[in-house]
Amino acid sequence: MSDALRDQIRDFILENYLFTTDTSLLGLDDSLLGRGMVDSTGMLEIIFFIEEQLGVKVKDEEMIPDNLDGVNKIANFVLSKRQAA
Amino acid sequence: MFASLVHVIESVARRTPGAAALSWHRAVWTYEGLSRAIDCVAGALLGQALPSDSRVALLIRNSPQYAAAYYGAMAAGQTAVPLNVQERANVLKRQIEHSGAKLLLADPAHPEFAVLVASLADANVTVLTVNMSDGADACNVFCASLPPGAGAAARAELSPDQLACILYTSGTTGRPKGVMLSHGNLLANARTIAAYLDIRPDDKVLCPLPFHFSYGASVLNSNLSAGAQVLLEDNSAFPQVLARRMQDEGVTAFPGVPATFALLLGRCKLRDFDLSRLRYLTQAGGSMPRAQIELLRATVPHAKVFIMYGQTEATARLTYLAPELLEKKLGSVGLPLSGVEIEIRDADGGCVPVGEIGEICARGPNVMLGYWQDAELTAQTLRGGWLHTGDLAHSDAEGYLYIDGRVADMIKVGAFRVSPQEVEEVLAALPSVEEVAVTAIPDEMLGQAIKAVIVLRPQMQLDAMAVKAHCRQHLATYKIPKLVEFAAVLPRTSSGKVQRYKLA
Repeated sequence: MSDALRDQIRDFILENYLFTTDTSLLGLDDSLLGRGMVDSTGMLEIIFFIEEQLGVKVKDEEMIPDNLDGVNKIANFVLSKRQAA
Repeated sequence: MFASLVHVIESVARRTPGAAALSWHRAVWTYEGLSRAIDCVAGALLGQALPSDSRVALLIRNSPQYAAAYYGAMAAGQTAVPLNVQERANVLKRQIEHSGAKLLLADPAHPEFAVLVASLADANVTVLTVNMSDGADACNVFCASLPPGAGAAARAELSPDQLACILYTSGTTGRPKGVMLSHGNLLANARTIAAYLDIRPDDKVLCPLPFHFSYGASVLNSNLSAGAQVLLEDNSAFPQVLARRMQDEGVTAFPGVPATFALLLGRCKLRDFDLSRLRYLTQAGGSMPRAQIELLRATVPHAKVFIMYGQTEATARLTYLAPELLEKKLGSVGLPLSGVEIEIRDADGGCVPVGEIGEICARGPNVMLGYWQDAELTAQTLRGGWLHTGDLAHSDAEGYLYIDGRVADMIKVGAFRVSPQEVEEVLAALPSVEEVAVTAIPDEMLGQAIKAVIVLRPQMQLDAMAVKAHCRQHLATYKIPKLVEFAAVLPRTSSGKVQRYKLA
């Protein structure tokens, strides 16, 4: 997996939802919703980030926890979409 | 005649002990299990030797355990204080201290738990952690994890006038507002809601609404008191997950706020799912644009759509619009509930004529006892037995209510008062608009001007000029937004209401 991509996703979440650059505060497999970091509005912002900053369109049917609820999940999802493109 | 919801649930459990009451992940709690768990919580609390009118704070996310703790505190004759699990430790601590709770029932896995408990070290608050198992044996595991106690002895002592719970509302100021609700308040509202929604024992309601929020609490109270099943969903972030569960579990009812329906309609192809069992949808928690109501109706035409209005100070619900009148009275929140009186009054306290805007004032068995430890605010809000809601509305000749905004939300453009909702309704009718909110911005010439913030539907485009051109067709010139911005999302409170002050 691309470390740069994973870092970019983690940094976005840290900066926008935890308001910190301390990477120890966000595990790569942490559930963003389960840990209360984002709510449904925050999840829409993350989708916006994926589409605008990472250049991957999120289809309605792809809006599921397995694709979006965690740094590694988002990174895997983005990579698989890029590979399929 | 039952004195409390606890008695009603106990009665349902005697009648249908094996019926499913709550489903969460792999756990299904029957009414017998829930009733037993309520006993266990009550017993454990009584074992703590607290005064009978103590407050018990709850830091537990939506789960069967939450319901057991909430009703268990009431069964022990104590006052449940559900805390907003989305808050940070400093706010939670402030609310616990404000409530005077000396006992906290908490989920130890809550992200703020450790910080909160450390911050309460000097506050003489006992912390009891609850087992949050979501497996098949969750109810038994939960009961076994609680300290043994005296059981249900306190129930017979409950009276309708007794304080049952304190709900902290999502006021944006620093002053905590603890709405005091009695057993009588909860019972009256639950019964009336269950009656007009015609909630039946074979109903399955899928609830993503938080229970510390009066709308979520009303869904829990009204469905359990009617013997229905409440299916819990942790959040509404993934509309596909909600729709799939509705399909797979044969859900018959779904309550949402405008943002929930915006997500379900905007980011999910609801028509691809078999929602044939869905009997009704309810919408409250803020005004939903007419265009969205119409889209909802068209997308699930077989389901009744109830548009409702209320506030925490009225337990939850004050009015609803009968689904068969949705087209005829589109935009209305309907008529007062049975037993509730509503008047629309001007600033001097007189009733306004039909069609004129005034403040909604309400009286009825669901109106709160007051604000906890705030006699001044209580006196401002409850006057002569009437709840002054702070919400603006007008009525038509048949008495149907139309919400026009909050007293504080009115925008004054020059000498004109503009309701943000009116402008939002017009903007929401644009096909490319998913959500919109309007607020006031300072204006040198007029004092205030109007700003609109628009969230577009996926892959749609719109520019400010086109928005203003549309407004010009439908609004008086002074109501056209001076500034139009586009955003990915609207800022909302944890309960889903748009934070207008953040839009300016």
